[in-house]
Amino acid sequence: MNPRIIKALLKKDLTLFTSNRFYMLITIVGMIFYVGIYFMLPSTIDEKFDLAMYAPETSSTFSRLSNQDGLNVEYYPDEAKLKQAVLDHKVQAGIALPSNIMEIWAAGNIPLITVYYASDTAIEIRDAVVTLIKEISYEQTGQSLKFDTQQEILGTDMVGDQLTLRDRMRPFLAVFILLVEILSLASLISTEIEQGTARALLCTPMQVGDMFAAKGILGIGLALVQAVLFMIIVHGFDNQPVVVLVTLLLSSIMVVGIGFLLASAARDVTAVTSWGMLIFIIFAIPGFGIIVPGILSDWVKVIPSYYLTDTVNRVINYGAGWHDIWFNMVVLICFTALVVWGGMAALRRRYR
Amino acid sequence: MKIKRIFTLINNDIVHGPKDLVLIMAVVMPLLLAFFFNLAFGDIFTSRAKLGIYDASNSHLPPVLNTNSTINIKYYDSESLLKSATARGSVDMGIVLPADFDDGIAAGNVRLTAYIWGESLAKNREVIALALADAVREFKGSVLPVNIETIPLGDETSIPWSDRLLPVTILVAVFYGGLMIPASSLINEKQRGTMIALSVSPATISEIFTAKGIIGMLLATIMGIVTLAIGRGFGHSFPALVLILMLGAVMAAEIGLLAGALIKDINTLYAFWKFGGLLLFGPAILYMFPQIPSWLGYVFPTYYVIRPLMDVSINGLGLGSSFVYLLVLGAIILALGLAINKIIGRLSTQALRIGG
Repeated sequence: MNPRIIKALLKKDLTLFTSNRFYMLITIVGMIFYVGIYFMLPSTIDEKFDLAMYAPETSSTFSRLSNQDGLNVEYYPDEAKLKQAVLDHKVQAGIALPSNIMEIWAAGNIPLITVYYASDTAIEIRDAVVTLIKEISYEQTGQSLKFDTQQEILGTDMVGDQLTLRDRMRPFLAVFILLVEILSLASLISTEIEQGTARALLCTPMQVGDMFAAKGILGIGLALVQAVLFMIIVHGFDNQPVVVLVTLLLSSIMVVGIGFLLASAARDVTAVTSWGMLIFIIFAIPGFGIIVPGILSDWVKVIPSYYLTDTVNRVINYGAGWHDIWFNMVVLICFTALVVWGGMAALRRRYR
Repeated sequence: MKIKRIFTLINNDIVHGPKDLVLIMAVVMPLLLAFFFNLAFGDIFTSRAKLGIYDASNSHLPPVLNTNSTINIKYYDSESLLKSATARGSVDMGIVLPADFDDGIAAGNVRLTAYIWGESLAKNREVIALALADAVREFKGSVLPVNIETIPLGDETSIPWSDRLLPVTILVAVFYGGLMIPASSLINEKQRGTMIALSVSPATISEIFTAKGIIGMLLATIMGIVTLAIGRGFGHSFPALVLILMLGAVMAAEIGLLAGALIKDINTLYAFWKFGGLLLFGPAILYMFPQIPSWLGYVFPTYYVIRPLMDVSINGLGLGSSFVYLLVLGAIILALGLAINKIIGRLSTQALRIGG
């Protein structure tokens, strides 16, 4: 390999890339949009039910509600203010107790409790509040249930420290940015093959290896710079920055390998875009499993991007270190080596 | 412009044109998304807590729990399956009902094993516990010591996640095919030089553009109808919804024609899709997250397709209620049409040839 030739090729490819002002503008604006999407997502999580209570008479059982983990109860001095709080969406529902509730129960009668909820509140939330009142009423009237439960928390108990949707989107968007570069690189190579410039270049002293090196450096650079920039903006390097950086670098190399394979397998640039989209969709699937935990079962592990998404997620969202993600890294390294080797072999055949 | 020639061009494009992967993706991708969202996300994006049950005793409790609207229930065939599903987050809590569970209830002692997903929300844990207690009491035939009246306040309605995701599938169905088919077709013709062959035929550039636009528009409309049928159904509003989808398809095809005329190669078209896709799919993000101020929607051209579509299909409103949005949509279509017309006027066959 000749460093001088590689440098010249890189310069040529970069000039081609930057001379297309539209492509440059789109790349920059695209990055702004990804960051914009991230910041538009909710940065907090609604872990508790926010309830309003109007209780003219003190009841020990109803007072205990304030101590429940999943409830946030705010007391209001009158029913009108409680209704306004519901209407203003300050709370999800309002419970208004009658003034003489204890007397009614003591007399063996049945009191009427009113639940106010905003009309756009999900029906399950309204029903949950109704169930809560039923349960409290049973307890208040001496009908407690005896539960003999063995409990086991699976994974770290994150009550009070839940991941927000914004946090969950970070690995997905970072991997998204990387995967998009499969298409960019494959299109770049495919255009050269289609227009015959690749063959023309090979008539010069340049070797196939020089071409791979130049394209590889360009592809890694494009993917890595964007991913790193995104991660800096979204605080993706706050935990284990070295692990994150190594993972992104490895992923960028993987992206280059897949780009080579795609360019060699596709007939033309249109086919690159179309097959690339298919690969892109498949590789993006593991990211959905982070956004909505539990929708994907173990089969998702057959998709290589799982090991990339899972690593980024575990490191930046759960503070995992090398010892937690070493297996993912091994799989990623093996897969990357395979696709880079396969891509180079396939492209070499195509260049002949 | 001759109608017969346009039909000949359409026929030529459909029968002899490239059946490349853009076409396949335009058909397959919306269908995949529609099925995926309906089968998986429609159920998962709900604020209901999720309870997993392994019932070792054929207890009578699960049928009672099934009637509870506050939780979603999944059943598992073994404790290990339940445990791994809970660890994965498929359910917030997994409970094992032991062999003598019903006898325990009769004796006044509810015995069970509960696995709790570490990331489940505190409120979901609370709701499941309440739902279980409620079901046990119902099973025991306890008499409710309270009357509860529920009163809704305000006139807004809640949108379930299955409906919130509808704009994504519709936009993919209408805009991927509607935009990419005419755009890639024009670019392919330019790149392969077949536009030169067409230029020596009696067909005018305006007829070529119209033919390609009609193909994109038809495909987008058909895919839009199919996707809507999978995701939501039409109810009594079939003509109104088809009309909105057709207008959206016209807009998509017009953007595709503009892109095809102005963009030199597929690379740049892809870059355009990468950026434009974000602009086009903006309204879908707004519908997914109502916390985002709704006025942002007015910025996106596709909002004027999605808003009437959602109003008619989800909110059950008539077409008249969307008059202003349709008027704006009509204005966008007209403006795009004028832009295409201007470009067609300026374009010569020479200008369309790649490399000049």
